[in-house]
Amino acid sequence: MQNDMTAVAEQNRERGYLEIFQEVTRLISMVLDPQQVMDLVVRRLPELLEVDAATIRLLDAGTNTFVLGAAHGLSDQYLSRGGIDTRETMDMLMKGRPVAKTGVDVDPLYQHSAEAAREGIKSVLSLPIIFQGHIIGIMRLLTRKTRSFTPMEISFSMTLAEQIGVAISNGRLFKEMENQVDFLKEVHEISRLINSTLDLNIILQTIVDKLPKIMGMKACTIRLLQPETNQLELAAASGLSPEYLKRGSIRREDSIFQALKGEPVAVYDAPNDPRVQYHDAIRSEGIKSILAVPIKKGREIIGVMRLLTTEYHCFTASEVTFATAVAEESGSAILNALTFQKINLLFNQIEENERFLQAIMDALQDRIVVVDGKKHVVMVNRKFLQQENLAEKALLGRPYDLIIPWKIEGRQCPVGKVLATGKMCARTDHLTVNGHAQWLERSVFPIFDNEGRVEYAVETVRDITSQKSLEQEKIEREKLAGVLETAGTVAHELNSPLFAALGTAQLLRDDLEKEEQRQEMDIILRNMQSMAELTKKMAAMTGFASKEYVGDTKIIEFH
Amino acid sequence: MSEIIVLDDVYDAVILIRKILSKKGHNVHTFTEEEEAVDFVRTHPVDLAILDIKLKKMSGIEVLAQMKKIAPGMRAIMLTGYPTVETAREAISLGANEYCVKPIDKNELEEKVSKVLGGDES
Repeated sequence: MQNDMTAVAEQNRERGYLEIFQEVTRLISMVLDPQQVMDLVVRRLPELLEVDAATIRLLDAGTNTFVLGAAHGLSDQYLSRGGIDTRETMDMLMKGRPVAKTGVDVDPLYQHSAEAAREGIKSVLSLPIIFQGHIIGIMRLLTRKTRSFTPMEISFSMTLAEQIGVAISNGRLFKEMENQVDFLKEVHEISRLINSTLDLNIILQTIVDKLPKIMGMKACTIRLLQPETNQLELAAASGLSPEYLKRGSIRREDSIFQALKGEPVAVYDAPNDPRVQYHDAIRSEGIKSILAVPIKKGREIIGVMRLLTTEYHCFTASEVTFATAVAEESGSAILNALTFQKINLLFNQIEENERFLQAIMDALQDRIVVVDGKKHVVMVNRKFLQQENLAEKALLGRPYDLIIPWKIEGRQCPVGKVLATGKMCARTDHLTVNGHAQWLERSVFPIFDNEGRVEYAVETVRDITSQKSLEQEKIEREKLAGVLETAGTVAHELNSPLFAALGTAQLLRDDLEKEEQRQEMDIILRNMQSMAELTKKMAAMTGFASKEYVGDTKIIEFH
Repeated sequence: MSEIIVLDDVYDAVILIRKILSKKGHNVHTFTEEEEAVDFVRTHPVDLAILDIKLKKMSGIEVLAQMKKIAPGMRAIMLTGYPTVETAREAISLGANEYCVKPIDKNELEEKVSKVLGGDES
């Protein structure tokens, strides 16, 4: 009878297991999302297996630690206690073996026995979740009454865990595939956007804005290596506070170090993970997980892109691949934009230099004309345009001989001479323009190309008409002064003897008795007085005019 | 009758002036050397000095200055073949009574001398 009852109970239990197995299979076949699988399992399993709580933890390949996937029936405080179980238990689990324990709340060897006591946990069955021979996580079933798990229960739970493992993996696979399709589309879209511009800031901002939205994450940053210092500098960011961004240099962080070596780094528990620094800032910003990927252009690493979440997130292989693909795509666009920036900068510098040169030329008061080897005008300065009242467009490219106003027929053109000989030429031309005499001082210099041929000739033309007029005036003035001096001297030298002769003649006339003699003496006196008049004029003269005399000789007429 | 000295580097000129003024009854002493003329003024009373501006070593202006120091009351007529505003101004400021431009007419000379000496008498 006893045996019969045991057999019935056994049969009932087996049926019960079968039902549970069927129920679990049915449940997990309903959903494909691994998170939903885990949530469902931890919620429903305690009831089916008559335990008080259940947790599923997944192995984070990046850190080789187990991170919480789903839990039911436990306080957050208990769940965040840090370590999971004793090292022996964890080692057993990693070897694929289940571990059943009772009295965990009083076990002196268990480092979290106090937390277990607070939570009222007495017994725990820990099971590895295995998929295709690899541990992908652990499931724990917990009771608040002391319970010894039978080998049958353990074996059954192992089977369940395996089934869950299949479901999680399938779900992951499906999710991955789904994500990959989405990601492919998004990579294409981002690539299209960032390759449609050469503006570096737009490219960077597009990436940091788009990527976290696509991946369902909080924030994104891009840091680029500065070629001058080889230091990373923040180039763009989204979803982060200015305080967080200013927290300090992160170049000593392991995550950055690894990423700069070309490897993606996934940090599940950013507030505590030693591979990132500034844990306080990470906590106050609410950041939980970080993915850092290198930004590459070919083999060269030019920066690091980081994606940040506000929920603990186990980055999947496809997410890492996607982020890496976007980073690589960004790498080419960033480099193109940087090259474009450099070219633009050079172009601006060239333009600036040209403006500077033109400003110098325009500031000069001499007229300047530059001609090429074919004697066509390639440049003139403002003074030239003002003087000739011409527009630059009307001159450039035209033959020099047609546009210059200082051409002299029959004289060799100095510009042509310089182009032909490569030797500088300077001369002064006197010409008449619009009826006015003009003096021009012309200097022509050659400019040689790399092979020593005359490439350009630069002509500067200075109007020295006023200078020449002043010189002419000075000569005239000096000539007048000379004439005046001579006239004064001559008058003075003549006046004393003339005075003696005239006076003596007058005295003599008074002594003459004959009228005929007196008349003759009057002729002498009249002529001497004419001479006296002339010397007076000479002494008082202020100017003169040259008069033609005979041949080349000229005589002076006093004013 | 007045004591008159005449100084000119042209000998004929001083002779002529002496002839003209002697006929008017004046006692005329002629010089062609500046120092001799100045010495004469130092040792004799002179009423009038007729000085050419262009002399051998000094200018008539300098001679006038020296003579005026010796005999401040002495009258003076300056003669010049080459009048300039500057010499005229200087001569007047040194106390010259007339400034005549050569060649001066016999009658004009007689008039100027009479006027300058007459002014003294008045």
